Amino acid sequence: MKIAMIGWEYPPFKVGGLGTHCYYLTRSLAKLGVKIDFFAPKVSRGERKSDLENLRIIDVGETAIYPYGTETKTIDGDFFTAVEKFNKLCYEKVNGKYELIHCHDWLTAQAGIMLKEKLGIPLVLTIHSTEYDRSANLNPNPWFIDIERNAMEKADRIIAVSHYTKRIIVERYGIDENKIRVVHNGVNPIGEHGEKKKIVLYLGRLTMQKGVEFFLRAAKKVLEKEDCSFVVAGSGDMLPQLIHLSIALGIADKVMFTGPLTEDEVKHIYRISSVYVLPSVSEPFGITALEAISAGTPVIISKSSGVAEALRNCLTADFWDVNEMANKIVALLRYDALRKTLKENAKKELRFLTWDRAARKTLEVYREVVS
Amino acid sequence: MPCVCFYFEVHQPFRLNRFSVFHIGEEIDPFETYFNHKLNREIFERAAKKCYLPATQLFLDISDEFGKDFKVSFSLTGTFMEHCDAFAPQVLDNFKELFRRGNADLIGETYYHSLCSLFDDLSEFRDQVNLHIKTLMERFGCRPKVFRNTEAIFDNRIAKEVEKMGFRGIITEGTEKILGWRSPNYLYRAKDTNLKVLLRNYRLSDDIAFRFSARDWVGFPLTADKFASWIASCEGQVVNIFMDFETFGEHQWPETGIFEFLRHLPAEILRFENNRFVTVSEVVDMFEPVGEIDVPFAISWADTERDVSTWLGNDMQIACFNELKEVGRKLKEKGDERLLKIWRLLQTSDHLYYLSTKGFADGDVHKYFNPYSTPYEGFINYMNILQDLKQRL
Repeated sequence: MKIAMIGWEYPPFKVGGLGTHCYYLTRSLAKLGVKIDFFAPKVSRGERKSDLENLRIIDVGETAIYPYGTETKTIDGDFFTAVEKFNKLCYEKVNGKYELIHCHDWLTAQAGIMLKEKLGIPLVLTIHSTEYDRSANLNPNPWFIDIERNAMEKADRIIAVSHYTKRIIVERYGIDENKIRVVHNGVNPIGEHGEKKKIVLYLGRLTMQKGVEFFLRAAKKVLEKEDCSFVVAGSGDMLPQLIHLSIALGIADKVMFTGPLTEDEVKHIYRISSVYVLPSVSEPFGITALEAISAGTPVIISKSSGVAEALRNCLTADFWDVNEMANKIVALLRYDALRKTLKENAKKELRFLTWDRAARKTLEVYREVVS
Repeated sequence: MPCVCFYFEVHQPFRLNRFSVFHIGEEIDPFETYFNHKLNREIFERAAKKCYLPATQLFLDISDEFGKDFKVSFSLTGTFMEHCDAFAPQVLDNFKELFRRGNADLIGETYYHSLCSLFDDLSEFRDQVNLHIKTLMERFGCRPKVFRNTEAIFDNRIAKEVEKMGFRGIITEGTEKILGWRSPNYLYRAKDTNLKVLLRNYRLSDDIAFRFSARDWVGFPLTADKFASWIASCEGQVVNIFMDFETFGEHQWPETGIFEFLRHLPAEILRFENNRFVTVSEVVDMFEPVGEIDVPFAISWADTERDVSTWLGNDMQIACFNELKEVGRKLKEKGDERLLKIWRLLQTSDHLYYLSTKGFADGDVHKYFNPYSTPYEGFINYMNILQDLKQRL
């Protein structure tokens, strides 16, 4: 089987789960014998080459494009022009004999729709996040919603990264559930190393969607009972606001904002933390929770997340319930037996959450439309 | 052509309230705050409606028809009887009536359905067993002859202690782990005692308790005449069919036909010549042991392992169990009756059962009653309460 996949990010150039997903998915699919031409925006930094015979990474465009470069949602900014340009270029550049087009999220949806028509082949669309997630359900932008809905309607199959996301696609976008398949993300294990410190970690973008504010409010409560450090790793438009909040809560001396981290720094911080919290307001999946577990760190995850349905050996809380979040953070810090049992069982569970499994399930979806 | 001894365990725990770390050390009434009286009422009333009332009433109807030819045995835990008092006194009245008519025998156990038989010091075990005997004397005028430890937990040490307390028989699991090639349908003697051991025939028991409604089972559908013929074809002294009473109407819903099965079973069993119902007390009077069983490590009737790993199988369970023992040591120094009662209510094995991280296959039966979404939630809640209790000492 030969497919054209339209992506947006590809490591080492990535900011979120989408890039990670495409990287491991394409590699696992290639090993399963699927020939993939992966089209992605050309970037000025970082080289992206495939060492696998079945997988080609093809740069599209000449200018550097930085995904999520703005969170302002103005439609006429550089970012949106770049997206549009990329989609048009894909439409022109993707030619030849493919059995299907696979694209990801609204960013590449338009190229997918146009190519489906041009080449007369089926379209598979993976939804990693929707406008409802990204906006944390506050004033979702109808412009994105229209693009997303249009692509969902045109796609022959939709892959949702969770049942949580599938529900949104059915309920908010009115899509027929019979053409949606759920494929949970996998994880590339980080591994344990070194000693744990009394650190409670958040790692991810600092945006409204991620609920970091609730993490800080829980931190305030935890610090009434336990002495520990909180680390907020990552960057995003809410950084100044979150720093202000930590000062206002009087916990600035216990909270460290790291800014963006390198890959090695990410591994290190996962490894030395005792607790990982994913407090998202709406999280289609949440690969970071799996990464934390793979580094031997037990997790507390938002009930409004896809990973909460995929994992059994974790603690959960409603993102707004800072008392419960704090209760569980304190319990993890205090009770060694809880940390140990949770860590051991969660690591075992990761054996079922691999990219090879995600690739096999994705291939099943391909086979449904190519027959 | 053996006798058949039906025995049912009837138990409800005092389930806990949500108790966060932020509640630890607050000014509260521990009894009112630790236990979720509303949830306990709801669950008990549901169980009474679906199981306890219809099943005991059915037994009374069968008693009308067959008189003393029909006999069963029950173990009513202390916490169950307290729930009856508080939420549905009619349930206990039905049991009393069955006992009065001679259709029911009663079995002794730890009042709190606890794991205190596994404490290093057995004084708490004796206290709880004596409390249960006293309660049965007061309520039924019955001194039990046969003992069944919590979830049939059994080892040589427990057997010796139970004999010392005046019991003549004890119930445990008829597992190959202790029997080897031998049949569970005979009485055995516990090592170095004169205590007679009744062994659960787990195949026939589980045919009702677990497999009754399993469509992929070769025995499906299980009818009363089929089951009676299986019993009739058994060799031995007595076939012991032991299970949770909640099998009727709760584990097996009424729609499965479990009540119809039960209604027709006595007639089908008595249809075979020489087949007869016996109580546990009659069993120890009628038969002599045919051999000895030696159980150095505790067994139980739970899960596929048939050991105590259901309650003490992971670090969280062991941490809580150790904390329970620690609290007990401090409590006995202090001698506060009110806190002693609370500590004992917290010993009920269900609290540790909820923390089991074993696979879903084993956890299914209790999942129905498990108030926590995960064992980890259960641990945090239970441990927080134990910490609060500890601070009060």
